[in-house]
Amino acid sequence: MPQPAQPNTERPIIVARNIDKRFGAFHALRNVSASFSEGQVTAIVGPSGSGKSTFLRTLNRLEKHDSGSIVVDGIELNDDLKHLDTIRREVGMVFQSFNLFSHLTILRNITLAPMRVRKMSRADAEAKALALLERVGLKNQAHKYPVQLSGGQQQRVAIARALAMDPKVLLFDEPTSALDPEMVNEVLTVMRELAHTGITMLVVTHEMGFAKEVADRVIFFDEGAILEDTTPQAFFTNPDHERAQAFLAQVRHGF
Amino acid sequence: MNWISRHPGWTMVAAMLGLLAFLWGLAIPLSAAPAPIGPAAEQFAEGARITVWLTLIAGSAGIVLGVLGGMGKLSKFRPLKWLCDFYVWLIRGTPLLLQILFVWLVVPTILPESIQLSDFACAAIALSLNIGAYNTECVRAGILAVPHGQVEAARALGLSPLQTFMDVILPQSMRVALPALANNLASLVKDSSLAYAISVVELTMVGYRIQAESYQPIPVFLTIATIYLILTTAFTTLTSALEAQLQTGQKR
Ligand SMILES: Nc1ncnc2c1ncn2[C@@H]1O[C@H](COP(=O)(O)OP(=O)(O)OP(=O)(O)O)[C@@H](O)[C@H]1O
Ligand SMILES: [Mg+2]
Repeated sequence: MPQPAQPNTERPIIVARNIDKRFGAFHALRNVSASFSEGQVTAIVGPSGSGKSTFLRTLNRLEKHDSGSIVVDGIELNDDLKHLDTIRREVGMVFQSFNLFSHLTILRNITLAPMRVRKMSRADAEAKALALLERVGLKNQAHKYPVQLSGGQQQRVAIARALAMDPKVLLFDEPTSALDPEMVNEVLTVMRELAHTGITMLVVTHEMGFAKEVADRVIFFDEGAILEDTTPQAFFTNPDHERAQAFLAQVRHGF
Repeated sequence: MNWISRHPGWTMVAAMLGLLAFLWGLAIPLSAAPAPIGPAAEQFAEGARITVWLTLIAGSAGIVLGVLGGMGKLSKFRPLKWLCDFYVWLIRGTPLLLQILFVWLVVPTILPESIQLSDFACAAIALSLNIGAYNTECVRAGILAVPHGQVEAARALGLSPLQTFMDVILPQSMRVALPALANNLASLVKDSSLAYAISVVELTMVGYRIQAESYQPIPVFLTIATIYLILTTAFTTLTSALEAQLQTGQKR
């Protein structure tokens, strides 16, 4: 079994302090604080509706936090659009439903942001896109459209698309939850390889195997708050909170 | 239809060339026809050219107005939204003939003396404003049909709001809006005939004059109707080819 990559530095790349988020009267995040070091792979788990996605989405401001502070790579995430642009360049995201641009070929899906945002030339962007497609095992699909690919293939393209911006952090929101069971592994394999490259990963997932085997750290969310923040070994063998024990029991029964 | 969807690019080129050849060559076959058509062949051709120009100019301006209006209607900036709502409400609630007469009679009195608007320009402006309002609704519906995940993916990749709109939202919304926009364009070919009211010598006006001189309405109006049918068919072919072009990625 491969050893989980150890964070190569202790330099925090994301620092979230006292984050609160409400949707109307609903309190989705309650005073959430966490910091993530460079190269660390964190699995975020918890019951449905506990705020995992909301937390992830505040980190690149797809959701605006109501209070608290988020600092990414030394830059405060706030209403300053320059800050936001810089942060979004450093932080990539992979969605549950892939969200590939349906009107563009696979190649154009990957080259769009590097060309528009990083002002890369078309030739450079395409060379890079093809190299990334090769890395996720899809080089010969470059000129197809997203609908022509299976879910697993689409998600691997989505990972390549995020990587094309050379992000320091990759956020994954249940990347395998929309996939047929036989396609889950091809995506997890790509993510496993990524975890060893030193990129910082935050992965919201229901794949406990992946969390156990690949993550350096597990965060357990419940009712909008972080209840456990520990190593996979500690979390899976001996969680502190009853809610986490109940969650694990339920998950084990599910599999 | 099948050929069109398989070769949209070629169809567009063919329809364009066909349209141009038709407009420039129209007088030649017509001049061989017996009176009252033959002697007036050049007038028919000129009328058809004016009709096509009006359609192309108002059609293009109408697309721009439609995109701006559609964006405006969805804007979070209230006054802009109200302005666009008012524009659509006003244009859709009044007759086109009234709009044409309004532009022709009222706009010159507002403009400074130095700017003279031709009758043709007045017709083009009124028709643009008219189709623009109808296009606004189609574009708005198209933009609303773009899944939110597409926008989130673009923003998460660092694209600016403008880049997100131009590269992702607009092309995808056009795919949805195009059938309706094409409908509006086909209507415009016919609606442009109302420009006769402000003495623009377009196709219908030509027909009216020639039958008045020759007292033979039947052959004259049959000729006019045929030319309109050829024009609307060309425009419909053009737009369905464009539609097929934009459909790529939507279905296998
Ligand atoms: N845009 C929104 N408007 C209103 N409520 C929202 C919105 N987004 C999320 N919520 C609510 O916030 C709560 C937390 O949602 P979130 O998506 O973060 O949960 P989650 O932990 O990711 O759950 P799941 O495992 O089902 O994805 C849920 O109760 C949800 O209904
Ligand atoms: Mg979620």
